Amino acid sequence: MFKDLDPILHSQLRLAVMSLLISVKEAEFTFIKEKTNSTAGNLSVQIQKLKDAGYIDVIKQFRDNYPLTVCKITKDGVRAFEEYVGNLQSYLGKG
Amino acid sequence: MTQPEKKLTEKESLDLIAMMINKAKDSYHDTGIGAMMWGTVVAICSLVKLAELHFDFRLPFDIYWLTILAIVPQIFITIREKKERKVKTYDDIYMDYLWLAFGISIFLMIFITNSIFRVWEPVAIEYSQLAGHSSGFSFREFIAPLFLLLYGIPTFVTGTACKFKPMVLGGLLCWICCIITIYTTIKIDLLLTAFSAVFAWLIPGIIMERDYRNAKKGLAAANV
Repeated sequence: MFKDLDPILHSQLRLAVMSLLISVKEAEFTFIKEKTNSTAGNLSVQIQKLKDAGYIDVIKQFRDNYPLTVCKITKDGVRAFEEYVGNLQSYLGKG
Repeated sequence: MTQPEKKLTEKESLDLIAMMINKAKDSYHDTGIGAMMWGTVVAICSLVKLAELHFDFRLPFDIYWLTILAIVPQIFITIREKKERKVKTYDDIYMDYLWLAFGISIFLMIFITNSIFRVWEPVAIEYSQLAGHSSGFSFREFIAPLFLLLYGIPTFVTGTACKFKPMVLGGLLCWICCIITIYTTIKIDLLLTAFSAVFAWLIPGIIMERDYRNAKKGLAAANV
């Protein structure tokens, strides 16, 4: 029996963000924007959804008087991501 | 304004995950400035010391103080590089600790060799006075291999971890020179130390700096 794929992760931009963050300790908003080729507005909304789900931490700080947003994946985020990948693999394996 | 979310197939999802993980892996380029600076400093120190021995002159200060002075620009380089980094990977953190451990080990090695030398020198003088000839053992001859052994460790680990061949070869060269310097005179030891510093740090540093500039140019072009 297939498990439903996590709807929070099963979206192109949110999955791209989570895949980036799973491989690094933390990343700045500008880095994620550049690597995902997304717009700042869209990315902000998707990051907020991931934050609300408890999958990422968003740290807002200042550097040289400019606002700086840093994102890092949480333990819940790692668990959800691993489960999502496991489910994908079982879909593809049985498909 | 948010764009409508694109629904992904399972295959597309896995491909996207693999692509983003690879993008994250390729995200960091060392500026190479630190490696270039240390390669130059260690090579200069060794060659000046060699010149002092060969041409029989003494500078009014110990040239190796340059390595202490080089810590000041290194602190500024590290702060600037950390500011420029938009992403912190786990590899970066391990590399920072590795080079910090190397720095601490070098200073401990200086302390250990100086302590041994302080104990050994009066014994050697007393021996030559009593025996009428020197003992034939010079502790100075065995200092270079100890340092070359240390130079090789972080260089080789960084090279293998970052898949950066010039540093892997540089690390191996340090260890080859480490073995050779056990059997060579102090002048050859100094020459091989300079040679190792150039090949382990200066040349890889130049290559890293070139790659960093190219990556920056590529990024600027992509953002146009």
